[in-house]
Parts: sequence; C-alpha cells; structure tokens
Amino acid sequence: MISTREKVFNYAFLTLLAAAVLFPVIWTLGIAVSPEITGSLDLGHMQWSNFTEAWQQAGLTQYLKSSLIITGTAVAISTALAILSGYAFGVLGVVGEKLLFPLMLFGIMIPLEAIVVPMYYDFQSQGLTDTYQGIILAHVGTGVSFGAFWMRAAFRTVPSSIGESAQVDGAGTWSALWRIYLPISRPAIVTFVLLNFMWTWNDYFLSLILVSDPAHQPMTLGLGAFSGRYLVHVNLLAAAAVLISVPVVGLYVFCQRQFIRGMLSGAVKG
Amino acid sequence: MATLNESRASEAATVAAPATATAGGESVHPPRRANHPRRSSRRRRRWLGLAYLAPALLIYACVVLLPAGQGVNLSFYHWDGITAATWAGVENYTDFFTDPTLRQAVGHTLFFIVFFSFLPVVLGMTSAALTARKDTRGAGVYRWIIFLPQVLTPAVVAVVWKQIYAPDGPLNSVLTAFGLGGLTRGWLGDFTWALPALGLAGTWGAFGLCMVLFAAGAQNIPNELYDAARMDGAGPLREFFTVTLPGLRGQLAVALTLTLLGAIRVFDIVWLTTKGGPGTSTITPTVVLYKRAFSNPDVGAACAIGVVLAVVALIVSLAVVKLSESDD
Repeated sequence: MISTREKVFNYAFLTLLAAAVLFPVIWTLGIAVSPEITGSLDLGHMQWSNFTEAWQQAGLTQYLKSSLIITGTAVAISTALAILSGYAFGVLGVVGEKLLFPLMLFGIMIPLEAIVVPMYYDFQSQGLTDTYQGIILAHVGTGVSFGAFWMRAAFRTVPSSIGESAQVDGAGTWSALWRIYLPISRPAIVTFVLLNFMWTWNDYFLSLILVSDPAHQPMTLGLGAFSGRYLVHVNLLAAAAVLISVPVVGLYVFCQRQFIRGMLSGAVKG
Repeated sequence: MATLNESRASEAATVAAPATATAGGESVHPPRRANHPRRSSRRRRRWLGLAYLAPALLIYACVVLLPAGQGVNLSFYHWDGITAATWAGVENYTDFFTDPTLRQAVGHTLFFIVFFSFLPVVLGMTSAALTARKDTRGAGVYRWIIFLPQVLTPAVVAVVWKQIYAPDGPLNSVLTAFGLGGLTRGWLGDFTWALPALGLAGTWGAFGLCMVLFAAGAQNIPNELYDAARMDGAGPLREFFTVTLPGLRGQLAVALTLTLLGAIRVFDIVWLTTKGGPGTSTITPTVVLYKRAFSNPDVGAACAIGVVLAVVALIVSLAVVKLSESDD
C-alpha cells in the first residue's frame, strides 16, 4: 500500500525532474517570442513576427525544401528495403544466411565515424557530394542494417501457420508478402517509418560532411549556419530552432508510444 | 544486436519479437521448415530470399562495407586527399599516444563518459526506483516530458544550451540572484568550465532515455518479489539491491551500451557550440577526426581515429552484453 506521503513525494520528485528537463526548452521558446535581439526574456511584449523574420533571414524555405526531399525519399526507400530484406531473412530464408546475416548486423554496430571519411572520398569521385542523390544514398545505406533487423523481427512474429496457409492457396512469395505479412506487421512498419523519419530529419553529421552546397543542405545545417553568423539575433535564432523542431516534436506528440518503444529497442543506429 | 534483443524483450508490445529471434547469427528455424518435405522448393525459396535481399545488400556493400574496408586500408597511409598517398605504417595509430591534441581528446572522452553515461544511468536508475512501482496518475505526461530530449534535433539542442550558458543567459542570472555574481561567466567560452558545461548538457540529454528504460523494466518485476522482500524486513535500500537492481540487469546493459557509445562519439553539440574550443579545451576524438579529414586534410590520420572508435565501440557493446549475461 502506498501512503499519501509517498504519493506526494512521488509527484514532487517527478515534477522536479520534468521541470529540469523542460526548463531549457521552455526558455528557448520564451526567447523565440521575445523582442530583445540580445536574447533576454521579455514575455510582456511577445513578438510573434520573430518566426517569419527568422524564416526569411535564415533562408529556411530552401533548407526546408531540401529537408523534405532528402527525408521523404530516404525514408521511402529505406522502408521498402527494410521490408524486402526483413522478409528475406525472417520468412523466406536466404542462401548464405550464416554469412550474410552477421555481415548485415555489422552495419548496426559500426559507428558512422568509422566509414564517413572514405565514404566522402568515394562519393566525391562519383560526383555524389553536394547532391540530393548522394546524401539520400548515404542515409539509406547506413540505415539498411537496422531496417533488415527490425523487419525480420517483426515478420518472425507472424505465426508460421498463417504463412503456410498462403502457400497452400498457391500464393507466390510476393503476394504473400502483400496480402499477409504487410498488413499484420503494420504497427512495426509505422514505428520504423517514424524512427527513420526522425533520424534522417535530425541528422547533422552526415549532411555536414557530404553536403557543403547550401542549396542542397537540410534544415539542421541551415540552423548551424544561421547560429554561426557574426552578430546573430539571439531571439531569431531561437525562433528558427523552434521552427526546425516542429515536425519531429509534432509527431512525438501524437505517437509518443511508438517513439519511446521504438527508441528503447532500436536506439543503436549509428 | 543483443542490445536490441534485450530491450525488445522488455518492451514486448510493439512487435512482440520473440527473444530468441535475435540470438546470434544461427537462427532458430521455425518448425515449419522441418515439417516440409520438399527440399527443392525450400532451396528455391532461399534463392528467392537472396533476390529479395539483393537491393539492400548492394547498397549496404557500397555505402558501408566498401568504405569500412577502405578506412582500415587508408589508416596506414598519409594522404592529403589530392596527391599520392604515402605509406605510414602504424604512425597514425601511435598518434593516440604522441599527438597532444588527440591525447587530450581521449582524456575528454573519459571525462564525458562520466557525464554522458554514468550520471544519466545512476540518476535514471534512482529516479526509476523511486517512482516506477507506484501507480502514478499522469505517468504518461511525465514520461513524455522526460523523454523529450531524445527526439529533439541535436542542432536545436546545441542552440538551446548555447543560450543557457550565454554570458547574459539564465544560468548567470540565477547565480546573480543568489548573490553569486562573482561566479558568472560565459560558460562555453571558459577554458575550465566549457567541458563540464557541455557534459551537463549531455547528462540532460541522456538521462530521460535511461529513466524511461529502467521504469519500463521495473514494471516487469513481479510484485511478489517486493512483497517477499518486505516480509523479510528489507528496507528500501536492501529492496533496491536485492530486487530492483537484479531485475533491471538487461535494461542496465542497454542503457550502458547506448550512453557509452554516445559518450565516445560526441560531435554535434560540441561542434555547434564550441567547435572544440576555446583552444582545444572541449575537443573530442570525433572533432579531431572531422578536422583531420576536411580542414588541412590528413585523411589517413582521420581514418585511424575512425577505426579506433569502431573497435572501441565493438568492445564496449560486447563487454557490456557479456557482463550482463555472465551469471545467468
């Protein structure tokens, strides 16, 4: 049994933690609507025009376009590849699986830093640096392992009797995938898409290295450039930061469970 | 991979993957195969499987495997990225002992391990133990808030902390308000304080993941164990060490792996706030790697750092997993 005193302590403690986590975020939100360019908080004179001003000064339209192209394409391709490779490993079996599966797992464990420098020079020699194709390819390639692993686990939970019944019906592997495995595994696919979206949208390191042309850079780099400018207006910088966070945080509001569960089990993408 | 395995067992709901599904390369085949007499059709399926896998495998080979191999190879050369490379032997690796900047960076990593890994794990474990077993109304809201830093864009997190630590930022205002005006400074521009300041930002970033992970694990510890401990007259402290901690071993392994890997790979927040400065007082191996690779390139040296990071990352993950499974 839990006493009232324990309960009060419990709430007080959790509230304290939550406040500690939220304070920096709330502070930035406050600065984002304050009129002072030095970044002092002034909620008495909220200035909502900071957001449009920041959007224009940081040139976010172009960065947003790039972010949308890069993230949209990379997530779509990654999801398709994850489904195909997960189906291969989890349901069909693969020739040479004993070698190929550990080889794929290696991609989850190796940190990006270990491959990114040679990757840059490879991409450069193929004319892929400073292009959408290049950064998309890099995102897809570095995410393939996790995708295969994730969807394999999801497909393996489908009872084999269901898969067999499809075989008896004479359904080919392709139609079994579409008619049986995909519908059943929809929750896992949704989680995968959300995580993948977040990782790609939030990426800074990979884009920093592979894309130096501002016309093809995503919003995270746009923010970096904006904050690195001499004599930056701090309130506008905060406003730009808020704007860039909106898509992922917005999704997080509605899909908290998928994000948390997915990240607790899959946060090792490197 | 065991990392994924462990936590998935604890968070059963999303895909309800069987824990065995990921136990190493040699997969436990479902009985369906054994009951299936037609060998040739099974073989055909496996070739078909390879066809399904082929596109992913091809991209993976080009983007990950090939550069990984090249990285190891390049790490034995001196190369400026343009002119012909010259053989370097293990020189790029001995840099870890002889190069003052790199040595300093490694030292900072050890420092960051405290802030990015140990503190979040300890704080997360304590908070989870204190709160998780009580039926808290509104627990979802708290969890949402405490987990929030995990989904924030690192570039945004950097902006946030830059403002907190600014010379006229809130941290200094608080200090002044408490009559400690003498302590105020531009925290990220201070040779002594920039590093712990970034460390605290790291603690802030990693704490929520640990706490939510442990809280989820604590839900799965059977109530009977606690009842039994109470019957034995165990106080809260003994209860923690005899019931909660052993029950959370899997989660502890996951939390340690994730946060340790985070600590040795710190880049975004450092690069976006201090660029390793002032001087080299907040430099990390990944920042050195980036600088060696792209400004005044010494590509081989950068690759050597990458290889060492990869090896350390592999050792850390394997060691933590082994430790967590050792006395099962």
